[in-house]
Amino acid sequence: MIHIKHVSKIYYPRRVVALQDINVRIRPGEFVFLVGASGAGKSTFLKLLYREELPSEGQLLIGGKDVARLRQRDVPYLRRRIGIIFQDFKLLPDRTVFENVAFALRVTEASPKEIRRRVPTVLEMVGLAEKERHYPSQLSGGEQQRVGLARALVNRPPLILADEPTGNLDPQTSLEIMALLEQINRMGATVVMATHASNIVDMFRKRVIALDRGRIVRDQERGVYSNEAKHLEVHPG
Amino acid sequence: MKPSTWKYILGEAGRGIKKNTLMSVAAVTTVTLSLLTLALVLLLVFNFNHLAGTLESQMQVVAYLDDNLPAPRVAELDAQIKAIEGVSEVAYVTKAEALERLKAEFGVDSDILAAVEDMNPLRDSFEIAAADPEQISAIAGQVAELAGVAEVNYGQEILELLLSLTSVIRYGGAALLVAFILATVMIIANAIRMTVVARRREVAIMKLVGATDALIRWPFLLEGVLLGLAGAVVTAALVWAGYSWVVGAMQRSLPFVPIVAEWQPILLVLALLIVGGVVIGAVGSTISIRRFLRV
Repeated sequence: MIHIKHVSKIYYPRRVVALQDINVRIRPGEFVFLVGASGAGKSTFLKLLYREELPSEGQLLIGGKDVARLRQRDVPYLRRRIGIIFQDFKLLPDRTVFENVAFALRVTEASPKEIRRRVPTVLEMVGLAEKERHYPSQLSGGEQQRVGLARALVNRPPLILADEPTGNLDPQTSLEIMALLEQINRMGATVVMATHASNIVDMFRKRVIALDRGRIVRDQERGVYSNEAKHLEVHPG
Repeated sequence: MKPSTWKYILGEAGRGIKKNTLMSVAAVTTVTLSLLTLALVLLLVFNFNHLAGTLESQMQVVAYLDDNLPAPRVAELDAQIKAIEGVSEVAYVTKAEALERLKAEFGVDSDILAAVEDMNPLRDSFEIAAADPEQISAIAGQVAELAGVAEVNYGQEILELLLSLTSVIRYGGAALLVAFILATVMIIANAIRMTVVARRREVAIMKLVGATDALIRWPFLLEGVLLGLAGAVVTAALVWAGYSWVVGAMQRSLPFVPIVAEWQPILLVLALLIVGGVVIGAVGSTISIRRFLRV
């Protein structure tokens, strides 16, 4: 699914090294937690994957294709195969829940019939079937994130990227979002989630990739958040 | 792109127009002002050209003769003039006949001519028509050379005045038009800039969910085009109504002034207005899309 080879990212003009010699392989259907302190490079890692940023060095393959070499006009087609969820939800405040989700389908030129069929289905899945006519401001944080999730899922992408998706949510709501992500993962999507939430990482026991100052310092199957884990098992790159 | 996508794009453009009502109204108003200038200049130029053409076709050379020219010389002159190439008709008008005509023109006010009755100050003349109006000045030049001809007049002053007036309208109008169009393009660009800024977040999200650049740009482009088109339609309606009224009024009170009343040139003006509005709108929004929309 994802194959990162010797990737570095340096932000100019101040030459900030965000990532250094990253080597990672993520298989289809995996669920990966990306952990580390703020500024460790988690967001940059994700941005490289959805090509918001280009690597300064190295190769970054998604589904066998080098994302860095993608022509600009092919970038939208890559993004349609990636569902992205953010800490701040990134919803459009002046559009209903339905429209926010339909947005991702319109972009792909889905037919109106298709939109009417798929949006309610995905809203049902995230438990918001009753609220399709609500505006984001009328929803709780957890509900807003469910809309974000629905929008990420509606194109049925094989890869889900989540950048601190529970960062603005209370513990109970966070668990509900996690349950949904896990469900999507079980249905076959690969999930890469950057997070600070140690309790969640410890509870779900997925693969953990820990970043520190731009380097991978730990890559552990069924890992925990903290570095003091007992059985430290480095994953081959 | 599919029809449903175009419908969506059109809806987004409409949304932009509605959100910035004040700016949209300002844009449509300035488009209307610019296009009205364009229409005014075009219609004036058309009419002046038409007027010049009409006058030209009615023009004749009048050759005034020296006083007391002997009759044989007059007959000789008549023959000489008829021999000039391009002359189609020659008529001899004595000064007595000229005075009668003048009296007829003055009509009820002809009393004032009684004072000059005895000492008729007019001169005998030849009125010469040309087969082709283009040859008028050449004919006038040759007639002026003939012995016994005191002065030649063929209305050149009026024609020259008309032609210079036409070029003033043409160039002055063009300058005014360029200034107005530039201002309009800037105002449309500004309206689109405001939409672009208001939609930064939306554009960012569109990109994240995989919108192509074309899909992101089209609503903004279309918004500018719609504003331009709205201004053009308003202008076309105003021009249609206004010009019909002018034509009607002119034909009633000044029937001898030839005004362009055929539908062809007027439709041409209306078509130009629509095209102009669309182009102004498209150029204005393209400027802002290039400068402010990062896709």
